[in-house]
Order: sequence, then C-alpha cells, then structure tokens
Amino acid sequence: MQLARATGAVSAVLLATLLARTAYAQAVEVDTTHTIFHEAPTKSNMTVYSPSADLEATPYDWLSVRGGWEADVVSGSSVAVKAGPAYGATHGTDVVTSASVHDFRNLARGGFTLRKDIVSFVGNYSYSTEHDYRSNSFNIAARTEAYEHNSQFEISYAHNFDQVCDRTQSQSDPPARYVPLEDSSGCFTGTNPLRTTLPIAVDSFQATWSQSWTPIFSTQLVYTAQITNGFQSNPYRSVIIAEGLAAQENEPENRTRHAVAARANIYFRSLKAALRLSARGYWDTWAISSGTGEAELEKYLLEPLRVSARLRYYKQSGAVFYSDDYSGGNPPLGPRGQYWTGDRELSPFSSWLAGLRAVYTLSSKQGRLGGFLTSLRAGVTADIIGFSYEDFTLAGQPIGNARSYLGAVDLTALF
Amino acid sequence: MRTWLSGLVLISLLLASASCVTVRPQQRAILADPIMQFEGDPHANAPIRHALDNREGSFGGDGVSGGGCGCN
Repeated sequence: MQLARATGAVSAVLLATLLARTAYAQAVEVDTTHTIFHEAPTKSNMTVYSPSADLEATPYDWLSVRGGWEADVVSGSSVAVKAGPAYGATHGTDVVTSASVHDFRNLARGGFTLRKDIVSFVGNYSYSTEHDYRSNSFNIAARTEAYEHNSQFEISYAHNFDQVCDRTQSQSDPPARYVPLEDSSGCFTGTNPLRTTLPIAVDSFQATWSQSWTPIFSTQLVYTAQITNGFQSNPYRSVIIAEGLAAQENEPENRTRHAVAARANIYFRSLKAALRLSARGYWDTWAISSGTGEAELEKYLLEPLRVSARLRYYKQSGAVFYSDDYSGGNPPLGPRGQYWTGDRELSPFSSWLAGLRAVYTLSSKQGRLGGFLTSLRAGVTADIIGFSYEDFTLAGQPIGNARSYLGAVDLTALF
Repeated sequence: MRTWLSGLVLISLLLASASCVTVRPQQRAILADPIMQFEGDPHANAPIRHALDNREGSFGGDGVSGGGCGCN
C-alpha cells in the first residue's frame, strides 16, 4: 500500500510536470533495463530477474525531475545452517542445510535537480518493500565547478530508515539460544507473535573531486564513509557454535566503513578509444580491509557503435569475529568472542570479474527520428564473476562452482 | 594524525596544481564524450554494482544513493 502511494506520488509529479510544460520541455529521457543474474555454488543457487524503468524530464534549464521503479524477482535456495570442517569431520557434510528463497522486491524512486550557474543541488527519495524488509531512503547532493569547469566538486549525504523482519526471541535467552526466522510469513502484519520488526539506520557521506588535466586526461578522487546501526545478520541463517548447538547468526549492531577511490580516464586519439582505470581501498570497524583494481577499455567501432571490455580484481581480509568453525577449538577455528557469522562475504577471499558491453546509438543530424525522438540508445552487457574463498567451507566442503553470471539489456530514448 | 596531515598536504598540493590547468571550452569535446565519463552508463552499471555490493564485504567509491536490502 505504501509502495503504491509512493509510486503514485512520483508518477503524479512527473505527469503534472510533463503535461504542464510539454510545450517548453527541453528534454525527456526514458530508460529501461532488464537484468538476469544467476549463480549456483555448492549447496545454494540464486536466479534474480530485475526490470527497471526510469523517466527524467527537464522542463526548464534550471530544473529536472525524475521518477522510476525497479524490482527483483528472486528464486533459489540459500544456506540455512552453517558448520565448519571440525564439526563436519565428525558429523558429515549433511549438517549444512539449505532453504528455498522466493522474494519480490519493489522499489519506487523520485527526485529533482536544481541548477544555477555553476552550482546544482540534487534530492532523491526511494521506498522499497520485500517480504522481510522495508526501506525509506533519501539522499541530497551539492555540486559546483571551478577553474573554467576543469575542477568539479560534489558532496552528498544519504540516510536510510530501514526495517527488517526477525523471529521473536525469548527475552530470557542469550544470543546463543536465538532461533532463526523460519520464513517471511507474518512479517510486517503485526498479527503474528512470532514475528518482530528491527530497525536499521544507515548514514552515508561522500566527497568527490573530478579534475580535467588535459583535453584527453581526467582524474577523480572519491572518499566515502558509512555508519550502519541495527540488525545486520541474516535472520534466516544459523551457525553451529558448539556440539549440538545451532544459533541464529549474531553480528555486531554497529559498523563504520571507509573507502577511498582514485580513477583516471585517458583517451587515445589514434585508437578512438578510452582507457578507464580505477583503484579502491576500503577498511571498516569489523577489521575488513580490501583492495580493488579495475580497468576498462571502450572503443568506437563505428560512429554509432561502441564496445567495451572490463577486468576487475578484488581481495579482502575477513571480519575479526569470522571463523569457519566456531565449534572447532582454539582460533583460527573455535570461538571468536561474542559474535558469529556464516556469511561468505565476511570471510577472506578474492574475486575477479570480466565483462563485455556494446552500445548502439541512433540519432539524426537532420531533425528528429520519426519526428519525435532525439536519440535512441540500446545496450547489451555480459559479466562473469569468479570467487575464490580462502577460509570458507560448508562442514569442510569447499565452495565449488563459485561463479556468478549477469546479462542485461538496456534501452534509452531521448525526446 | 600524521597520516591525515600528509593526506591533507597532498590534496592541497593537488588542488593548487589544478588551478594552473587550462583546458579551454573548445578543447573539451573528448572529455564530454560518453566514453570519458567516470560514471559510465549509470542505469546499465547499477545491476553489477548491486550484485557486487551484496557479495563482497566492501562498499563505497561509487555513490551513496539507493534503498532496500535486495541482499539476495
């Protein structure tokens, strides 16, 4: 109901703007993207179809308004009970179980941009629903330029007011006795005494400096910080923490995260190609640190057709409370304090990504296409990601077939 | 503390050197080309960013907007 109201409000603002100012509109852009994601590593699998549609109108030079919708249709299964190699050696790999996952995430968003001279202000709001998650999010940003447009600065801030569904726990039980959420039935209804709602607040800040150094070379420096407070565990997952004792995953409620990214773009006139390089360093209060390197080459094959290839490498350390087996005796296996997790993304691992993209743009130098289109752009993308887990097993069984595949098509029309 | 001060000095020097740069408006055609944009095609990049954010322990450097968990 709330999503319908949010979508309705966004649509009404866009429609009113379009109807009132059609005669004066300078540009209207419509985007739609359709993505299929698939992975099937050991003991789990996930297929997600994600459609989205966005519309942005610029009725005046100083104002743009936009609205959009996206969804995730999720089907698969995930690990419900995680154990490590020591436990698996005595109990077998069948102690690790999986549970089916079906969800439908809907997100409505809207926003505006105000411009005056070399300054612009951006505001966005989004509301999303899942069977077990609700999110209200807004972000604001301010941009300006200096030195004849060669230096650009932006600061932005975002806040999420989120809620996650969880299993009601007995107040007398310690976390080691907490029971995982069985399924999402009864979530957010207020009628099921075995369901409760927990808050998550996320504050994010980012500062960006982009610089054009020569007609073919530019750089960007970005700093991002984020503070998350609230329930961050997977409510469905439990971890075997002692002989015969499986407890709901228990992660710290506070996390502060920092990232610094540096980018450089250089254009090769003889090749009609651009090389984009990126490096990122990350660290947080859960003791995860990571490094990311990315290179992308994009080239015009014909005037309307450009193709790109990208490679990315990522490596991270594990969270300070991560262990592959909390029942395994002394660290590195065994207890790691008051927290426990069965999350692969909190373990030490590396990943690589390879991707291809092609974009074809139709535009007319004499008037509009079909009398009303300024340009029409179609893109197709394919990515493959491979993961290599150093210290994550399912009762001693390494994660095999740890690859994810993503394919997407997108269409953008400019009126 | 010394690390932060060194960072501030480095950024100040870079900013000062930026003021000496003069790429004139008529020289900006390549910089304005879609293939020279840092954010690329934002709508096309969003799905892979979403997938990576939910499979890695890291975050940041790409913007702070967004909403919902979509953690699958």
